[in-house]
Amino acid sequence: MAKKILVVDDDPNVVYYLVGLFHDNGYETCAAHNAPEAFDMLQKEKPDLITLDIDMPEVTGPQFYRKYTKMDDLKDIPVIIISGLAKPHLAVKKAVAVVEKPFDRDQLLKIVKDTIGE
Amino acid sequence: MADRILIVDDEEDIRVVLKISLSDLGYEVYTAENGEEALQIIEEVTPPIVLTDIRMPVMDGLELLRKIKQEDPETEVIMITGHGDMDLAIESLKHEATDFITKPIKDELLEIALKRANERITMRRQLREYTEHLEDLVREKSAKLVEAERLIAVGQVVEGLSSAMKNIVEDLESGLTYFNEMPCFVSIHNSNNEVVGTNQLYKERLGNKIGRGSWEIYASSAASQENCPVGKTFSTGKGQRRRERVKNLNGSELPVMVHTAPIRNRDGKVELVLEMAADLTEVSRLQEDLLTCQQRYQLLFDAAPCYFTVQDRDLKLMAANKKFLEDFGMQFGSFCSQAYSHDGEPHPECPVWKTFEEGESQQAETVVTAKSGEQYNVLIWTAPIKNVAGEVTHVMEMSTNITQIRQLQDHLSSLGLLIGSISHGIKGLLTGLDGGMYRLESGFEKEDQERIKEGWEIVRHMIGRIRNMSLDLLYYAKERDLQWERTDVLTFANDVALTVEPKALGHNIEFVRDFDASAGEFEVDAGVLASALTNILENALDACLEDNSKKAHKIIFGVRQDKDDIIFDVSDNGIGMDEETREKMFTLFYSSKGREGTGLGLFISNNIIVQHEGSVQVDSTPGEGSRFTVRMPKILPDEIKTLQKD
Repeated sequence: MAKKILVVDDDPNVVYYLVGLFHDNGYETCAAHNAPEAFDMLQKEKPDLITLDIDMPEVTGPQFYRKYTKMDDLKDIPVIIISGLAKPHLAVKKAVAVVEKPFDRDQLLKIVKDTIGE
Repeated sequence: MADRILIVDDEEDIRVVLKISLSDLGYEVYTAENGEEALQIIEEVTPPIVLTDIRMPVMDGLELLRKIKQEDPETEVIMITGHGDMDLAIESLKHEATDFITKPIKDELLEIALKRANERITMRRQLREYTEHLEDLVREKSAKLVEAERLIAVGQVVEGLSSAMKNIVEDLESGLTYFNEMPCFVSIHNSNNEVVGTNQLYKERLGNKIGRGSWEIYASSAASQENCPVGKTFSTGKGQRRRERVKNLNGSELPVMVHTAPIRNRDGKVELVLEMAADLTEVSRLQEDLLTCQQRYQLLFDAAPCYFTVQDRDLKLMAANKKFLEDFGMQFGSFCSQAYSHDGEPHPECPVWKTFEEGESQQAETVVTAKSGEQYNVLIWTAPIKNVAGEVTHVMEMSTNITQIRQLQDHLSSLGLLIGSISHGIKGLLTGLDGGMYRLESGFEKEDQERIKEGWEIVRHMIGRIRNMSLDLLYYAKERDLQWERTDVLTFANDVALTVEPKALGHNIEFVRDFDASAGEFEVDAGVLASALTNILENALDACLEDNSKKAHKIIFGVRQDKDDIIFDVSDNGIGMDEETREKMFTLFYSSKGREGTGLGLFISNNIIVQHEGSVQVDSTPGEGSRFTVRMPKILPDEIKTLQKD
């Protein structure tokens, strides 16, 4: 069964890009444009991996991360940070990887593959 | 002549006869019959002349002579000898007998002997008198010498004093050449009101007055023995201080300030008077020099390109330079806080106050308000002004106007902020562009026309946004002059509408042109104002797109005129703005659009409008919509046009 990835980013262009990219490479996807939406999606879809933006209005990426990692059934879902901030790796320490925008898509796909497989 | 005489002889007859003869000659006669008796009488009455026999019992004449000469060498002793006693007579002369007479005594010879004795006595007395007189003479002459030396010493003291004072002044300030000559006439006077000593300047300017009356130099009422300062000093015993006029050697008169001081001897009597007369013309010349010097400093003080003030302990302004007066205005004695902030409340961190407290220079930076109402950033430096005791009596404050530097810094830090914000935004745009290109590429690979079209749309959208951002940045980075020209309002408004209308219609938003056909012409840099209005119209468009609460959206773009202005209205029924957004929307980097905005758009629009001396007014209600009213002058103010020609 295909692995499922949740894409969280407030920029619709980025969401569109990532969703298309993962879909084309055989993953199932779901997407959210803000933290509350992402939280609903997380509980509903139970993804295998999350790609998370940091700088989002209202609730930031790290705030969302701290919230879902407090829940036993969700806390082990791995997260990849994809951000345009200068020092994104400081925000979420337990992230599987931190990728700076604009990213190399082959490198991103390799990280995804290493984390959850094809 | 001697008055007393002693006769010594063992023969009573001779004693009697001699006594009678000598008494006749006027002597007071004493007699003794031997040497021993004679010595007793001599001790009692000390007769200047003794007449003695040589041959006598108990103690002979020779023995008596030796004793007498031993006791009192000045006693004249005449020896009486018998015949054949020549050897004894000569022996007695060896022992300083005055003379000798032989028995029987002849009155003639006795008188001669007595005369010789008396001559010797007189001679001796005279000699003594001479000697004693000589001593007096020497004493008298020495006293005169001592006095003369003392006067010389006084003169030396006077000269020494003046030259010492001169040296002190020279040492104090070798640059002050006008002190080279002590402008002071110094003299010493005795109790006869005579000048006994003067300094060199006195002699050169007033003449050699030594030995002359103390009052002679004066031209005024002081020119008398009783009224001159020296005379007054002697009569009152007190030092005088008066303003007088003295006669110069060349006949002109000099104003002087005279000081005298009594010099007392050991008994407390005023013996000498020291007079010092300061040349006031010299003093006033010095005062003039000082004034010139002060004026020079004042010039420097005024010419300095910063604000100088001097303040006292109450923080009252005691002095200020021209620039301070020009920019802040003040009255001497008013408070610095009044001049700087107009509220009169002393600044809690006042560097001047701190300088008074700590006695050291302070630095501070603050914002002050000039009398024009403008606010200046100033860098303040203070310095304590101390008195001789080292207490801070005043504080000098020097403030440099660094407003322009601060504006530049604001600009620079804005740029820094901008670059941070822009780089974040650009990363997002580039990621979006990557997404579009991926879509496009995969579309080509799969020969999927739909993908190609989608990908291309994304790429085009992203490039458009990157282009806008670049243009905004370029505009912000360079402040450009207005390229104005007279422009037809309707043509301009239609051109602006055309850039936005298709986009609005593409999103099913109604776009209304509400143009006053008689608006005429206005002076404008059409290119930049068009981009400012386009920005406002695009904001209206975004406001409509973000609003999901209404079914139909509408943007009205209006143009009208009043007497001096052309007024552009942009109203929409989009999401509207809350108060915070309304207040901040023209500030740099404020954006309510998250990823989509650079925070530059409205900031630049506002700048463009203000650069034309126009204004923007915004009314908005959240959920109902917004209305921007842009008021532009029909005729640009002259200073803007001049600026452009430069």
